[in-house]
Amino acid sequence: MTILLTGGSGCGKSAYAERLIDAMPREGRVYLATMRVADDESALRVERHRARRAGRGFRTLEWPLALGEAPVAAGSVALLEDLPNLLANEMFSGGDWRRVAPDLAALAAKCRHLVIVTNDVFSDGVAYDGQTREYMRRLALINRAAAELSDYAAEVVYSIPVTLKGEAPCV
Amino acid sequence: MKLYIGGAYQGQEELARSENPGALIVTNFHETVREALLCGETPDALAARVLREHPDAVIVADEIGAGIVPLAAEDRLWREAVGRALCLLAQRAQTVTRAVCGIGMRIK
Repeated sequence: MTILLTGGSGCGKSAYAERLIDAMPREGRVYLATMRVADDESALRVERHRARRAGRGFRTLEWPLALGEAPVAAGSVALLEDLPNLLANEMFSGGDWRRVAPDLAALAAKCRHLVIVTNDVFSDGVAYDGQTREYMRRLALINRAAAELSDYAAEVVYSIPVTLKGEAPCV
Repeated sequence: MKLYIGGAYQGQEELARSENPGALIVTNFHETVREALLCGETPDALAARVLREHPDAVIVADEIGAGIVPLAAEDRLWREAVGRALCLLAQRAQTVTRAVCGIGMRIK
């Protein structure tokens, strides 16, 4: 099963993703971390997420670029966090943003279960510069591709999942 | 406690007032979070205090998390803190209503 979770910053997406994973097999759990640790703030965020995942049996792969090359075994139960960071790395660290959507599709096809976390960055009404607008447009395209290949998609609103597509697995 | 949320100007406050006549309505909770941070109060402590002091209140807040990551560190911190405080309140609320174009969706 492929699941897409979106929502604003700090809305509880990760916590819900982990609850979903809890109901899935423990065997083959992989956490795909896309954020590059650049400063104390991101280090703190990574630490917080790590503490929450502890005891859930994840193997962690730090994979900021080229998702398609991540050594994820067939039949894995994967949590990918998150698409905005992956796209930013592909765009601004010499990658190729065009590979993100096909890499996602290949990953979904390979995994027994895949939970994809993305972000809603589209509703603050701020007129950004051209490069940021292009980033937003590409992220929107990737989010749409991810929703297309997902069996269940939800927006998490302050810890409450609001279904966008399909049916929530029992948790 | 009941929670009413929505993007800017989506009518969450009007809905909260019309659906809860006579109740204590706490508006602009997202700004309360900012003030709390300035006073050194964590979002967890703030949420716990609100639940303790106003267990029957109706709390109204703007959703502020659905944008590009802010450049200023204090804005990023505020955004995270609003999310954290509202997650905690939503979990304890009897109902959570989200306003879109003035229409309330009961999401809990």
